[in-house]
Amino acid sequence: MTRNLKKFISISAGMLLAASTAFAGPPEEPRVLNFDNLEKEIGQSGGSIRMLMAKPKDVRWMTVYSGARLVAYDETFQLKPDILKEIENVDNKSFTLHLRKGHKWSDGQPFTTEDFRYWWEDVAQNEALSKGGPPRQMLANGKPPKVEIIDSHTIRYTWDSVNPLFMTALAGARPMYIYMPAHYLKQFHEKYGDADNLAALVESEQVQNWSSLHKRFGRQYRPENPDMPTLQAWMNTTKLPSERIVFKRNPNYHRVDPNGTQLPYLDEVILNMASSSIIAAKAGTGESDLQARYVRFDNYSFLKQGAEEGGYNVYLWPSGRGSEMTLLPNLNAKDEGFRKAFQDVRVRRALSMGMDRSEINEAIFFGLGREASNSVLPSSPLYKDAYGEAWIEYDVDAANALLDEAGFDKRDDSGTRLMPDGRPFEIIVETAGELSQETDILQLITDHWKDIGVKLFVKPSQRDILRGRVSNGETVMSTWQGLNRGLATPEMNPEELAPVSPVQAQWPTWGNHYASKGAAGEAPSLPEVARLSELYQNWRDAADYDAQAKIWDEMLSIFTDQVYSIGIVSGGLQPIVVSKKLRNVPEEGIWAFEPTLYFGQYLPDTFWLEK
Amino acid sequence: MSVQNQSSLPPEGTKDLPHFVSDAPFDLRSVEKLTPEQEKIYFASQLTLMWWKFKRHRVAVWSGIFLLLLYGSVLVSEFLSPWNYQTRHSKHIYVPPQSIHLFHEGEFIGPFVYDLKRKLNLETMQREYTIDERKPVKLSFFCSGEKYHWFGLIEADNHLVCVPKGKPFYVLGTDRLGRDMLSRILQGARISLTIGLIGITVSFILGIVIGGLAGYYGGWVDMIVQRVIEVLQSIPTIPLWLTLSAIMPPSWSPILIYFGITVILGLLDWTGLARAVRSKLLSLREEDYVLAARLIGAKPSRIIGRHLIPGFMSHLIASATITIPTMILGETALSFLGLGLREPITSWGVLLNEAQSINVVAIYPWLMLPVVPVIFVIIAFNFLGDGLRDAADPYK
Repeated sequence: MTRNLKKFISISAGMLLAASTAFAGPPEEPRVLNFDNLEKEIGQSGGSIRMLMAKPKDVRWMTVYSGARLVAYDETFQLKPDILKEIENVDNKSFTLHLRKGHKWSDGQPFTTEDFRYWWEDVAQNEALSKGGPPRQMLANGKPPKVEIIDSHTIRYTWDSVNPLFMTALAGARPMYIYMPAHYLKQFHEKYGDADNLAALVESEQVQNWSSLHKRFGRQYRPENPDMPTLQAWMNTTKLPSERIVFKRNPNYHRVDPNGTQLPYLDEVILNMASSSIIAAKAGTGESDLQARYVRFDNYSFLKQGAEEGGYNVYLWPSGRGSEMTLLPNLNAKDEGFRKAFQDVRVRRALSMGMDRSEINEAIFFGLGREASNSVLPSSPLYKDAYGEAWIEYDVDAANALLDEAGFDKRDDSGTRLMPDGRPFEIIVETAGELSQETDILQLITDHWKDIGVKLFVKPSQRDILRGRVSNGETVMSTWQGLNRGLATPEMNPEELAPVSPVQAQWPTWGNHYASKGAAGEAPSLPEVARLSELYQNWRDAADYDAQAKIWDEMLSIFTDQVYSIGIVSGGLQPIVVSKKLRNVPEEGIWAFEPTLYFGQYLPDTFWLEK
Repeated sequence: MSVQNQSSLPPEGTKDLPHFVSDAPFDLRSVEKLTPEQEKIYFASQLTLMWWKFKRHRVAVWSGIFLLLLYGSVLVSEFLSPWNYQTRHSKHIYVPPQSIHLFHEGEFIGPFVYDLKRKLNLETMQREYTIDERKPVKLSFFCSGEKYHWFGLIEADNHLVCVPKGKPFYVLGTDRLGRDMLSRILQGARISLTIGLIGITVSFILGIVIGGLAGYYGGWVDMIVQRVIEVLQSIPTIPLWLTLSAIMPPSWSPILIYFGITVILGLLDWTGLARAVRSKLLSLREEDYVLAARLIGAKPSRIIGRHLIPGFMSHLIASATITIPTMILGETALSFLGLGLREPITSWGVLLNEAQSINVVAIYPWLMLPVVPVIFVIIAFNFLGDGLRDAADPYK
């Protein structure tokens, strides 16, 4: 009797255990990765790796590296379903999304169309949570889609006109989130949450109202809130700020390896905080198992030297940016003299032709870069020599002639040109001050520009301060990286070529006009820029690949011919520090925010530690 | 009568002393005759005495000579440096220090360096330089080389040493843009060494005047000065420097910024000196000779300048020589933090600022060489100050 009872207990305990393990795990229809295509090997689960980061905000890179998106680019840059089981696209107008059966959030709650509905009805269309209404990518021709929830695993979005942005926005490095964990966030929502509880939370968190609360706890791109469920490979378990941020594997992740082992292989990813200037030094002593951020090309020799002792390899991945560094003349500068000067294309071209890119390439990039304008890279299907080589020839005489012609023909005693309003033509270039490389390049350009009578001063500040100054139109010229989508295909969003945002340092006011839907800023006053805006609008209405390609072509040709950003050298190399024990990290890759999501394209969930 | 005569007095009780007047010339030192050596000392002027005393402090003398040479070099930095400090040699980036040879293939041909062969190592991404033993590059002296503007004024092209154009000659190596480190250190000395002098002048004038007033008058003048000094001293220096140097507009010319920084350093430094001056004055003004001077109607400025300050000159000299190195270090620290001088002007601080990267420590250590002159100058100033202080009080 007792023996039977014991048996019964042990059996039921076993069943319970089985039930609870079934509770966590991949969806019933997981995404099975095909390792043969990817040149990956089957790994072992477990282990933890360390990375170095400089700021608490850097947790966002985990969302980028992890790379789980509703749809994602595959190795040939085609959009394929990832979190979704399937997506049916009818003429870029109607999209039917099929979720994976049994897919769960990291906290074990089911991931269903309710999460999509919650976002669309209660967040995107809520006045308090989305001030300007739904994001632009959800609007086609200014109109929102019809959203049909077919069942708990199927949802359809239909627009009257084409919306090519929809899919690319879902696949972005900073994706558009059209779903949110409703079960978790409802407690912070006015409509669902308990009013007293909400009021108490608003009080204790010292925020203004429930919507700030909802925003603060509901960030998906920047996983600051350890309680917020996620679909990414690793979930944050540390309350910020912290010197050591621990990401643990998501037990409900949707990808599995060919053997059926659930990914990610790595149990933990630990982000250790360090000052950005010593990250290279720390990586060089083997304190990071996977490091690319805050490590620069000029650290390569040093890293290589310590590779043996530090137990790591250093790979060099070409950068996928349109240019390693660009100078952005502010066409909307508050200072009238500079505004007029930079709106004159002759001045912009002269400044571009007045710099000796080959010396910069030789001195800073070891001669391995490509002297080019800020445009797409030769490996992009959109590339033409005319874009890459627009106004990059070093020609002091031509530059001088252009400046004379533009009304900068008088000079002061020291040979500096005078602006038409009588002030010396002294350009203050503001930088984010993070990279010594920028200062070195500017030092060289300072000397080059002396020959064309233009004085350059460098003012290093700090990234966020610079952003603020840019959106206020206070900068005259600033430096920024080149196009993020240097490897663009016609399907990718050409927004970087048109004024769309107030943080675009060459036309913040015009960009703000678009971003605020006309409420703030000003409409572009230059015909070429207005044409870019128009083309961008056309691209959004373009029905097919060829039409999109044509628009990209025209935009690139205007953008490079008008020199709205002065590119210097492209094709820089990014050192990647990889622990010798860490496997499945490809030796060759492209280092780009988009479309490769830095490591995201190379599937960090398949990286594993050799014991 | 003087004490010396006591011994020649007749014994007590002797009557009818004859009246005696010595007709020998009166000589004060008739009993203790001074040797010629002693005479030299007793009749020497204050300055001579100081000089003698100073000469006996060997280290101080050598430090003084070293500093004189350095300050002398500041006058002719352009002439001494083989290249202009801003000239970039893009074919010679990160060249390690070269050595100067005298014998080529066993034969004396005068000082020369070997030509360099450059190889780009794509494995380590380093520029590797090998010595080309077949090609000696002879150095010429007192020759014409790169053109420069002496002190920004007079155009000249005379150099102490030059090599033919395009040939390498980098005794202390080159930096990441291929600029010669020796030339940069030599020309950086001009800024780094003079910034101390200008700063000390500002701080001395302020310190002596304000401290002097406070000490001589006392009372409410002293009260106010003391409170101001306390406030100034309670402000942490580095953040204050940072703020002051941050408000200098970026479009100022480097020279203006240089003066701005010297003035900042001077304006912040006078407080310690003013306190010392004040406390010395407070005690010295009670001395009898000051009272005497006041009684015969001397004005305060004369009493302070003529009677009081020489009384603690030694202290002033010592604090001056110790303050100059603090100023040099201040400039170096500010520039090292990237808040002091900026390119294209160069100073030892600017050079060190450029050297603060792990790459330099690990691969290009010669870029840290500007530390050496900083250390030597500061040690030299300290020894010199020590010697001067001893000398200023020659009777001790």
